[in-house]
Amino acid sequence: MIMGKEKIIPILALIVILISGTSTAYIYITQTEKDTIAINGEEYTIEQLFYIGKIITIQTTEGEKTGISLEDLILKIGISCPTCFEYTIKGNDGYEKTVSWDILNTGILTDLYRVYFPDTPKAFWVRDIIEIEVK
Amino acid sequence: MKNIKALAGILLFGSLWGFSEVIIGSAIQDIGLPSGIIMTGVFAIAFLVVSRIIYRQPGMQFGMGLVAGGLRLFNPFIGCHLCSAIAIMAEGAIFELIWYKISFDFSELKSNIMKSSMGIISAYFLYIGGYIVTQILTPIAAGANFYIENLIVFMPRILSSGLFAAIIGGAILPIVFLAKDIKITLKDRIYYPTTIGITILCWFIVVGNWFFT
Repeated sequence: MIMGKEKIIPILALIVILISGTSTAYIYITQTEKDTIAINGEEYTIEQLFYIGKIITIQTTEGEKTGISLEDLILKIGISCPTCFEYTIKGNDGYEKTVSWDILNTGILTDLYRVYFPDTPKAFWVRDIIEIEVK
Repeated sequence: MKNIKALAGILLFGSLWGFSEVIIGSAIQDIGLPSGIIMTGVFAIAFLVVSRIIYRQPGMQFGMGLVAGGLRLFNPFIGCHLCSAIAIMAEGAIFELIWYKISFDFSELKSNIMKSSMGIISAYFLYIGGYIVTQILTPIAAGANFYIENLIVFMPRILSSGLFAAIIGGAILPIVFLAKDIKITLKDRIYYPTTIGITILCWFIVVGNWFFT
């Protein structure tokens, strides 16, 4: 039994290194770089979004954050029934979080391409946003 | 009596682990280093393995995770208390699973290759396991829904993120195992006041920070 472990454990360690190394290469190759944010299929620059949306300040667990109201933004880009949809916020590293309107309408989008919500854990504060999918 | 000693050990090592996460982890993050990777690869592995070597009690490391995670909830430095507390608790449970088949005399881990391999496996699965559990439980605990597609899309990044934790774990475990040769015997009248005293000190500093910052 011990002989078995002496073979299996180093092989497993090697597999771990291979999987993590391959994943690192994969995300490096597939990394998306762009300056615009797609919302409901339409591309916007951050300047356009700040022109469209109302700038507000919210209180988070990391202090005050200022940006454009996601509630105002979604309404102004023509989503007529915002409560009918869910919203997937996607970062350029593949990280994404899907939220309901109840959460989305409390949030802001900053000029550093990051969303903040006042009442959610930090896991929802997606960085380097490239898309907000309405579905 | 042995169970009470182990319980005191859970409180001691769990509190030291939680204290390290809060105080040292935050300091590491402040200077721009990847605190999660270092905390798992160095501190979590060290505390979990040393306690395993000293007490040789199954289930103890799970208890340590609960204590450390509980202490992490009082962290005053970083906004997301819940995520990291959940991750630490998960790490304790994952460690128990990984080490379940390893005997308590550690006869399998005589060579440095075996120790390094266990370090790689332990640190990697602790790190990515904690990450995955956090991604699932944090939205649920926060009252939002969990969406499996959010996790699947992000899996390559999670699998990749454990690489450096694995490398650090592989380097650290042979060093941690040097503790196996250190023999410390404390009489009960010294053991209990020492363990309880250090535990209280850890909690006092962390909770004190929470009140005063």
